[in-house]
Amino acid sequence: MATTEEIEDLIARSAIGDRAAFSRLYDRTSAKLFGIILRVLKDRASAEDALQDAFMKVWRHASRYSANGASPMTWMITIARNTAIDHLRRRKETVDVDDAADRLVSSTPTPEQSAVAAGEARRITVCLDELEQDRGAAVRGAYLEGRSYADLAESFGVPLNTMRTWLRRSLQRLQECMAR
Amino acid sequence: MTTGSDDIPQDDGLLAAEYVLRLLDPVEDAAFRARLAQEPALAAEVTAWTTRLSGLDASVAEVAPRSAVKTGLERRLFGQPARPSFWQRAGLWQALSLASVAVAAFFALQSLQPPQPIAPTPLFVSEIAAEDQSLRLLAVYDSAAGEVRLTRTAGSAAEGRVLQLWAIAGEAAPVSLGVLPEDSTTAVILPEALRPGIAGLILAVSDEPPGGSPTGAPTGAVLAVGAVSAL
Repeated sequence: MATTEEIEDLIARSAIGDRAAFSRLYDRTSAKLFGIILRVLKDRASAEDALQDAFMKVWRHASRYSANGASPMTWMITIARNTAIDHLRRRKETVDVDDAADRLVSSTPTPEQSAVAAGEARRITVCLDELEQDRGAAVRGAYLEGRSYADLAESFGVPLNTMRTWLRRSLQRLQECMAR
Repeated sequence: MTTGSDDIPQDDGLLAAEYVLRLLDPVEDAAFRARLAQEPALAAEVTAWTTRLSGLDASVAEVAPRSAVKTGLERRLFGQPARPSFWQRAGLWQALSLASVAVAAFFALQSLQPPQPIAPTPLFVSEIAAEDQSLRLLAVYDSAAGEVRLTRTAGSAAEGRVLQLWAIAGEAAPVSLGVLPEDSTTAVILPEALRPGIAGLILAVSDEPPGGSPTGAPTGAVLAVGAVSAL
C-alpha cells in the first residue's frame, strides 16, 4: 500500500495532466478501489466498467482533490463507491461522469478536526459491534454494498419506515459512540 | 466531541450521514445537494461522516483488476494506450550501446508493442556516424510533429566551417535539412514529401562553409552517413 503522501503527490500530478503519474496512481490504488466496487456490484464485468468510470472521474477531477477535507484514499474510495452505486441503480443508463464527483464537498477542516475524524474512523468497528447485530449489519450493508432503505427493509423483513427509523437511530448511536 | 455537530441541528447530521450512505431518495438527495453548496457547516458534516465511515474501508479486501481494464481505461481517456513519452523512448535508444542495438531493438520493439489492434506510432531512428566515430549523431523522427530530433554525441564542425544535414531518398538528389547549430541537440522539420519514405531514408552530414552549401547540394566532404530504420 502506498503512503498518503505518495498518493497525494500522484493525484496532484494527475491534476496537471501527468499521465505517467496517473498510471502509477492506478497501479497503487486500483486493487483497493476494485475491491470496494466489487462489494457493491458483485458482478466482475460491471465492476470493471465502474472501475474505469471511477478512474476517469479521478483523472478529470484530480484538481478538486486539494479542496476536499478527506484523505486521498478516502477521496478516491468515495468516488469509486458512488460510481458503483450509480451503476447499481441505473444499470443500463449512461453514467454522468460529473455526477459522483459532484457528491464530494469542498470542506477544509482544521488539522485538529481531521485528527478527531481519523481517530473516529478507527473506532467505527468497535461502535458498530455495540449495536444490535442486525442494526450493525444494516449500516454495513448500506455503506459497503450501497443498499437502499427499500432493499434493506426487504432483506430484514421490516417495513420501509421501520428500517429508516432503525438506521437513523443506529447512525445517531454510532456518532455518539465514536465521539466518546 | 464531534466537530461541527454542536453548531447545527442534530437532524442535519443524520441527513448528512444518509447522504453519504446514498440512502436519500432522489428528491431529498437533490434538495440536500442544493443546500450543500450554500452551507459550509453541512459540507463539514458530510466530510465528517465520510471520514467516520471510511473506517469500514479497511474491511474490504483488495482485488487486482485484469490488466485489460487499465488498457481500456487509458484508451477511453487518451484514445490510445499510454506509451513511454517520445523523449523517454528516445532516451532509451540513446542509452543503447552500439553492440547491443540489434538485440535491444528486438526487445524494445516487443515491450513497446501494446497488445491492442491500435498500431503504435513506430519510432524511426538513425545513427549518423563517421566510420571512425569522429562525428556521431543520433536522429529520432517524431512522426506526430514531422520533426527529426538530433543529438550530437561526438565530433563538431571544423574551425570556420559548419555541419549541414541532408536527406537522401533512394536515387534522388540530397535535400538540405539545414545547417546544424553549435548546440548538441536540435530539431529540424522533415519536408512532407520525404515523410512517407522515412523508413530507409539516408541522412548525411557534410562539411560546408559558414551559412551552408551555396549550391543547394553538398559541396564539402560527407563526414557521416546513416540510414533511418523503424525501432
